[in-house]
Amino acid sequence: MSERFATVALDVPLPRVFDYRLPGMQQVAVGQRVIVPFGRQVLSGVVLALGETAPDVATVRDVLDVPADMPALPDDVLDLCRFCADYYAYPLGAVLAAALPGAFRQPKPWPGHEDAGAYVAPDPAALLATLSPRAARQRALAELLAQPRRVETIRAVAGDAMRWLRDWIAAGWVVRTAAPTLDAEVAPAASPALNAGQQAAVDAVAAPQGFQPWLLYGITGSGKTEVYLRAIEAVRRRGRQALVLVPEINLTPQLESRFRARFPQEHIVSLHSGLADGERVRHWLDAAEGRAGIVLGTRLAVFAPLPRLGLVVVDEEHDASYRQAEGFRYSARDAAIYRARLRDVPVLLGSATPSLESWKNARDGRYRLLRLTERAVSGARPPAVELVPTQRQRLTDGFSDTVLGALRDTLASGGQALVFVNRRGYAPVLSCQECGWMSSCRHCSARLVLHLTERRLRCHHCGHEERVPPACPDCGNHDLKPVGHGTQRVEAVLETLFPDANLLRIDRDSTRRKGALGEMLRRVHAGEADLLVGTQMLAKGHDFPGLALVVVLNADGGLFSADFRAEERLFAQLLQVAGRAGRADRAGRVLVQTHYPDHPFYAALLAGDYAAFADGQLQERRALALPPYAAWAVLRAEARQLQLALAFLRETKALLAGSAVHVADPVPAALARKAGWERAHVVLSASGRAPLQAALRFLAQHLAEAPPRGVRWALDVDPQEF
Amino acid sequence: MLLGGTLSELPALRYTPAGVAIQELVISHESQQQENGAQRRAQAAVKAVAVGQTGIALSRLPLGQTLVVKGFLAASSQRYPDRLVLHIDEYELLN
Repeated sequence: MSERFATVALDVPLPRVFDYRLPGMQQVAVGQRVIVPFGRQVLSGVVLALGETAPDVATVRDVLDVPADMPALPDDVLDLCRFCADYYAYPLGAVLAAALPGAFRQPKPWPGHEDAGAYVAPDPAALLATLSPRAARQRALAELLAQPRRVETIRAVAGDAMRWLRDWIAAGWVVRTAAPTLDAEVAPAASPALNAGQQAAVDAVAAPQGFQPWLLYGITGSGKTEVYLRAIEAVRRRGRQALVLVPEINLTPQLESRFRARFPQEHIVSLHSGLADGERVRHWLDAAEGRAGIVLGTRLAVFAPLPRLGLVVVDEEHDASYRQAEGFRYSARDAAIYRARLRDVPVLLGSATPSLESWKNARDGRYRLLRLTERAVSGARPPAVELVPTQRQRLTDGFSDTVLGALRDTLASGGQALVFVNRRGYAPVLSCQECGWMSSCRHCSARLVLHLTERRLRCHHCGHEERVPPACPDCGNHDLKPVGHGTQRVEAVLETLFPDANLLRIDRDSTRRKGALGEMLRRVHAGEADLLVGTQMLAKGHDFPGLALVVVLNADGGLFSADFRAEERLFAQLLQVAGRAGRADRAGRVLVQTHYPDHPFYAALLAGDYAAFADGQLQERRALALPPYAAWAVLRAEARQLQLALAFLRETKALLAGSAVHVADPVPAALARKAGWERAHVVLSASGRAPLQAALRFLAQHLAEAPPRGVRWALDVDPQEF
Repeated sequence: MLLGGTLSELPALRYTPAGVAIQELVISHESQQQENGAQRRAQAAVKAVAVGQTGIALSRLPLGQTLVVKGFLAASSQRYPDRLVLHIDEYELLN
């Protein structure tokens, strides 16, 4: 019998694959995971190809194990990973590793996979009879087990649920069973009537079709989610699976409950990094083995195998969270479009402020544009945005009189108000006004942010923190003053100005504890909080029907950024925040405090016409040959000394001399020092994709073979930040 | 330097982010002085500040209290080097 060999992709920083011998009668398929020796390590890899000819190397080692815990990755997932590896110039093995749940990256079989079934109590009445009448949680679980339930459902009942389950199994009250049935008796939540725009969008997307990207451009509150739900309904009727991507973990539970209410008969799973390892694997298997009809997830869900995929939805497609910022820097939105193309299914991108990349594609006719121009709740009007100029006003702790008056009126009339401050902490810097000292991070070229409640100075870039100095380290002055306003300070100011209001601050610091955000959102919905202070965490997707007033403080920062995408981002952010107001029957009011009311940016914002703004931005980008009118990549370098990083970049630039790619001069990054590393980069640009891809492939290969000494490097394709 | 006068302004005691008490105050001074060989009256309202325990103690004084303070002068900020503030290190209450 001839020998058999497998080509395996491993998660190592080398842009190549490795060959292994398959010992004995081991059955292996392409896409399956295998455990192999690598140097002195043992690694988990994915089989890319099988063959019978011995590879042309001196020694070929044997595959150690083929765990049967993971079904083989289907061709479209492998092709998507190959595409990403090529497009983002990142090693295929590392891309595949990012595509898999953590447990399937371990070089050992996943121990939990026998636990994928469900549990049922054949005689729940008898089980109940054994329980104390006061053991409410246990009784609830026993009643629940009248139907077969999955482990996740059981675990959600109580912290001790799994222990009770084990006891009941041992006593014979509960048995393991096959696939659970769903709650057939729960009626689906009523679907609201569609307006004409929504109906047209649903008709277009739900019709049977092959690959087609649709850009659903709908103003905030125009009922985009309802369009997704109807389109998914149609896909499910045809027995196909739907993949729904959302930008952030904290939006998933909210959307998930809306999906569950609407599709109680469907098996819906979520995939995001907030899930426990075992849960994520089970959800992933439900998707991969076709049990789940609807998969809701963050960017990593784009790689989940879906044998009967029928529709891909990308909600808030403009959101920066779709872009992975470290390591394998991919855009899940772009991967989703490629995935839909591989599977010949439609992909629906939704946003009130589409990215300029998508907007251009829609304008060029590559995507088809669907517009929702009315708010879904009839009578609800888009909020009126007003500017509050502050150049000639006396401000009370950062607030103008106009804003304070509006807050007072809103609270007096029983409405909710949101003050949006996109800065957490108390103040962005602590300073000595006598000598000019400012709190700076010793590891980064950044200021230390004052967190007053914790009496700490913190670096938001590297995590360094220290106690607040009692006196200026330079001159000894005790009277150090916070400069600028963060959420904590705004909260403190509002507390004194509106002592009767129920104030709630929602930012990354106040929601660090698990479940804290959910509880806060519940309080907002229940009307238990009427004055909210929040960062952009609150700007996305949350629906607050009672919100009548939105105040935006310090928006001006985005106007003077060196980043050409800053205005696009600020516009999207302000429109999203503004969109929180007046979503039900109230007319919302939005006040933007600004020092620069005459800036052309604000004229566009007041007009509220994103389409016109986007068209204008596209013209500018075309004139300046900026993305999306040019293909860009950035080679980033970090070293202990800036000169080292710059020298490396200069040498690399020289390697590309004569290619069709334009390589700019090396420059220090905007944050020139981070966590003790000096950072610099060069921008690579080309008029088309092909020459850029060729250059990237060459660079990735060259740098992996001849790694620079003392320099950490990374290629960032379609860079979003500089 | 030494300055005698009455306490004429005493805003609320405040604390720095590190928790150090800061008491700002204004001392009204009136005295007879010699200038160019002649007697004259000198009047001034002097901005002053006291830090820590001294600040806390001063915060408890009533307006109109007569006192003599000892300390040094410093600019109120880098931006206005000619606006001076008297930093009080020690004080003594009169009457």
